Amino acid sequence: MTQSLAAFARSTWLQYVALFQWATPLGYFAYKVVLPVTQIVFFVQLGVFATGPGNALYFALGNSLQLTANSGIFGVIATVSNERQYGTLPLLLGSPANRLLTFMSRSFVNVLDGIVSVVFGLVVTAILYGLDLRTANLPLLGLCIVVISITTAGLGLLFGSLGLVMRDSIIVANVVYYGLLILCGINFPVSRLPDALQVVAYSLPLTRGVMAAREAVAGAAFGQVAGLLAGELLVGAVYAGLGYALFRLLEGWARRGGLQEAY
Amino acid sequence: MPSDPPFRHAIEVADLRKVYTTTRGTFRRTKVENVALAGIDLAIAPGELFGLLGPNGAGKTTTVKVLTTLLLPTSGTARVLGHDVVSATGDVRRRIGFVFGGERGLYWRLSGYDNLRYFADLYRIPPQVSKRRIGELLEVLGLAGREHDKVEGYSRGMKQRLHLARGLLNDPDVLFLDEPTIGLDPVGARDLRVLIRGLADHGKTIFLTTHYMFEADAICDRVAVIKKGRIVAEGTPSSIKQLVGDIGVVEFEVDTISQEDIERLQGLDTVSSVVVTERELALVVTIHCAQPAEVMTQLGRLLDGIAFRRVSAREATLEDAYVELIGEAS
Amino acid sequence: MRSLIRAAWRSFEMSTRLRVVSPWAYLNWLVFPVIFAAIGLFVLTSSGYARVAYGVLGGGVIGFWSVTYLDGGNSIQEERWNGTLEQIFAVPTPLVVIVIGKILGSLLLGLLAFIPTVGLAYFGFHAVLPALDPLRFAVSLGVLSFSFFIIAVALTPLFAISRSAFTVLNGLELGVYGLCGFMFPVSQLPQWLQPISYALSPTWATRALYASATPSASGDIAGWWLASIGLSALYLVVSVALYRFVEVRARVSGELALA
Ligand SMILES: Nc1ncnc2c1ncn2[C@@H]1O[C@H](COP(=O)(O)OP(=O)(O)OP(=O)(O)O)[C@@H](O)[C@H]1O
Ligand SMILES: [Mg+2]
Repeated sequence: MTQSLAAFARSTWLQYVALFQWATPLGYFAYKVVLPVTQIVFFVQLGVFATGPGNALYFALGNSLQLTANSGIFGVIATVSNERQYGTLPLLLGSPANRLLTFMSRSFVNVLDGIVSVVFGLVVTAILYGLDLRTANLPLLGLCIVVISITTAGLGLLFGSLGLVMRDSIIVANVVYYGLLILCGINFPVSRLPDALQVVAYSLPLTRGVMAAREAVAGAAFGQVAGLLAGELLVGAVYAGLGYALFRLLEGWARRGGLQEAY
Repeated sequence: MPSDPPFRHAIEVADLRKVYTTTRGTFRRTKVENVALAGIDLAIAPGELFGLLGPNGAGKTTTVKVLTTLLLPTSGTARVLGHDVVSATGDVRRRIGFVFGGERGLYWRLSGYDNLRYFADLYRIPPQVSKRRIGELLEVLGLAGREHDKVEGYSRGMKQRLHLARGLLNDPDVLFLDEPTIGLDPVGARDLRVLIRGLADHGKTIFLTTHYMFEADAICDRVAVIKKGRIVAEGTPSSIKQLVGDIGVVEFEVDTISQEDIERLQGLDTVSSVVVTERELALVVTIHCAQPAEVMTQLGRLLDGIAFRRVSAREATLEDAYVELIGEAS
Repeated sequence: MRSLIRAAWRSFEMSTRLRVVSPWAYLNWLVFPVIFAAIGLFVLTSSGYARVAYGVLGGGVIGFWSVTYLDGGNSIQEERWNGTLEQIFAVPTPLVVIVIGKILGSLLLGLLAFIPTVGLAYFGFHAVLPALDPLRFAVSLGVLSFSFFIIAVALTPLFAISRSAFTVLNGLELGVYGLCGFMFPVSQLPQWLQPISYALSPTWATRALYASATPSASGDIAGWWLASIGLSALYLVVSVALYRFVEVRARVSGELALA
């Protein structure tokens, strides 16, 4: 048991290293520290300029939570493309292990990374903007962070699968990633969006989870946000399921020799 | 046009050294020195087709890059057409062309014609001249008719010929070719060799690197063998072959051969080595010797009563010499 | 001289043609600025239209900047992947001439970013800028373009020798938007950051740009133009040294060839 745990930890670590192999230490720092801090500061200053200093925390919190999307979307896509690059994908496909589990497990390292990113964002928010969590429902906030990290990774899995057939899926992912900044109630409430966009917003991960997390910071009890979290998980599961279905479809093609051209 | 300083050699290299310094490790960085060229000397006459042979990592590409101004040497001097490659980069660049083998180095999403016109402008060739020259080059290199297709649709051979066209745009006096036939099929490679030989016959100085011994043997006027950054042999292909001593090989097949028989063959004056290798159902005996014809006539007497088949004699190839040189100098 | 102009022109033409077929270019001038403009407009109009100029123009300025310099940086990375970086380095045309051609292309593409963003402001938010002074605005935009152009030309050789320089600067993107006052005034920033802002040429040009589009604006617009141009000239001097350094550095390490 401890042995297999150690093996699991090791493979997770290796996946993480592979994920950032493109970066020098300085590049990693820029990407994991400078980028999040500047994102938070930029949007907070914008918000304060527009709406007054009283709202700084609204913007800081929203952007801290959104940081998970970086791992959930780009990280998951990179993990899948790394596997393609190293040729480990067929090994996975060929193994008798539970496929769904195997498929999901590839996003594990990014879920962890996403959680760490959000926590880092909250620390930055606490230092720069005096976020005070003494009145917050901390376990609930923790749960919200875990949930949004899982659900954005679910969306990431869909793009990971798309990436197996589409050369420019990373472009589409970029659009989605920045789209989340507008649509998910990060910098202004979803209610300000036109009706049609509100429908889109509620069919994306993050939207409900961010709402729930804001409530948790304000001290809400689990019962008050249970509905939001359930909805959030459902949305994430739908995207992960779509990703898995697409993945199986491609697997079928690959068996019949059709996928080679796609690579 | 600036005039060249007087020069006797088109390319002149003296005690050229290149040491790459790279850092290793992520947090504890250590400097690693890699000696790519350990002091080489070369002198290549105008109009000569010169081949630099050597195994992977020997320093061929590094030599070419220094000579084409892309790299600064660590020490030593190199002159092309009398111009120093370190300081007179402008003069050198205007007068040379270079082609690195392989498919990279072209804009795949543009047509072959656009690729050439772009580089023609970067070589600052007047438009009237470049227009004519591009037309000629497309014709000579067999790309005419396909020049407006995107490069991504070209075969490897076509890409390689497009590379060569690019290298010839400025009508260079000296042309550097780094493994120009790499990845080409035998026919494409031979066609390209014919083209290269033709260029040399029209008076261009050509500096070519290759792994393929027969390639150097077939077209080069003179070759040098480089190993671990040092020149280990230099001369005409035939003089290199002679360097190794053996100039002939006799081979035949037998079902079985005794130790005494082998010793008897080795006892001959002109024989330097006898090697027996197993091949399928027979044994192959390879004899390196000075006078293959002489050895052949003696075989019947020496191997009395043994049934030997498929006797053949051939000249040692440059490949044989190269393999011995590379093995020896280690 | 004529041959140099022709080389720059061809480099402009080639990079533009490569760009037209690259989906990344559309992401950078179309999608990305629109998203920033949308966020800016939503946030800035949440309590009235007093600060709407920053929403109408902010997305465009951000897009303009990031296309100009990202696109230049990307095109150098692309040359590296193509294996053409070494070749453009070894031609008799100086690298800076080729880079100027490329960046002029990026600059034009970057200007396109104003079309969808201003369009979004007008059609989506009914936001217009009635107080805009066309002449001052045009000059300010010219000065801003000049500052972007000089910075992009100056930075590009750095990307040629260092792959991580580009990553690092990418990480600083939003910081630059903030420091240069692209979407809110620099006075919003903490006091200790403001000196950095004032050392950046786009800051002054952006300030002039917004002042020429805002009704109650006062201030020495002409002085800001001069400040921006002066800083740009200073960068130019530094970049000459940078080009020299890069030329030598690339030839020592052979880094141009690494994919
Ligand atoms: N940019 C570089 N930085 C560090 N070391 C390098 C660099 N380029 C080449 N080297 C090293 O210098 C040595 C000579 O390399 P070079 O490319 O000149 O060999 P080559 O003869 O062209 O080999 P090949 O036949 O494989 O092309 C090798 O050990 C190589 O690893
Ligand atoms: Mg080589």
